[in-house]
Amino acid sequence: MRNCAMTFAATLFVAASAVAAEPPNDAQIASIVVTANQVDIDAGKLAQKKGSNAEVKAFGKQMVTDHAAVNKQASALVKKLKVKPQDNPTSQSLKSGGVENVKKLQKLKGAAFDKAYVDHEVAYHEQVIDAINKTLIPSAKNPELKKLLETGLPLFQGHLEHAKKLQASLGK
Amino acid sequence: MIIRAAVALGCLSGALAAGAGAIAADKPATHTVVIEGLKFVPEMLTVKRGDTVVWVNKDPYPHTATANGVFDSGAIAEGRSWRYIAQKPGEHPYLCTFHPNMKGLLRVQP
Repeated sequence: MRNCAMTFAATLFVAASAVAAEPPNDAQIASIVVTANQVDIDAGKLAQKKGSNAEVKAFGKQMVTDHAAVNKQASALVKKLKVKPQDNPTSQSLKSGGVENVKKLQKLKGAAFDKAYVDHEVAYHEQVIDAINKTLIPSAKNPELKKLLETGLPLFQGHLEHAKKLQASLGK
Repeated sequence: MIIRAAVALGCLSGALAAGAGAIAADKPATHTVVIEGLKFVPEMLTVKRGDTVVWVNKDPYPHTATANGVFDSGAIAEGRSWRYIAQKPGEHPYLCTFHPNMKGLLRVQP
């Protein structure tokens, strides 16, 4: 699992570096935001179904609720700004990373599932926070899109802290 | 005589004002904490025992106001609120269990 998280981190890092060379435009940022949320919604749905620990299930449910709320805001903004989310290397890597994670999680059960899911949530939120801070906020041109990212930041930080607490309690 | 009456009247209105003040102080107050942008606003609130505190969630996702062993709102949905009558004097740090980076402090005076 540690390997998996590290591979995932490396993928995001590569994607972030590719982006750093050429900053994403607003249409690409919109696609990254929507994809990042959707990936975590998919994993959360799986955790609600397959999680064995009640707190893990509840966390999965919360991820579905919270990220769906952000995506609702994001799609309303995209419509308002008449921006069409544009696929790009970062959103593609997020998508394939999400599919890979779900595939791995589907093979696990019980405590092994719980641990793998929560470990991945910690790594995922850390990477997404890093990308929002270093790439997405500085690159966003539209002030409303920038604001959406800025309000998303404490939300993702909250999820990270929550996931870390869960990770520590599962380790006991 | 006129002076004495005026003084008496002054005393009377003074007593009335003091009485009204005492009544106002005894009557429990209601305080509002707005939850917005993953923050409790105000972050620190001082109330008197018996006062009501209302947490209003203006974020698009659920939050909680939880001080372990003192109060726990459970999930407050988007646009909803939760009322709590402050009973236990003291300083109660609280947080949102869903987003533990959200912290607040409720100070309850005896």
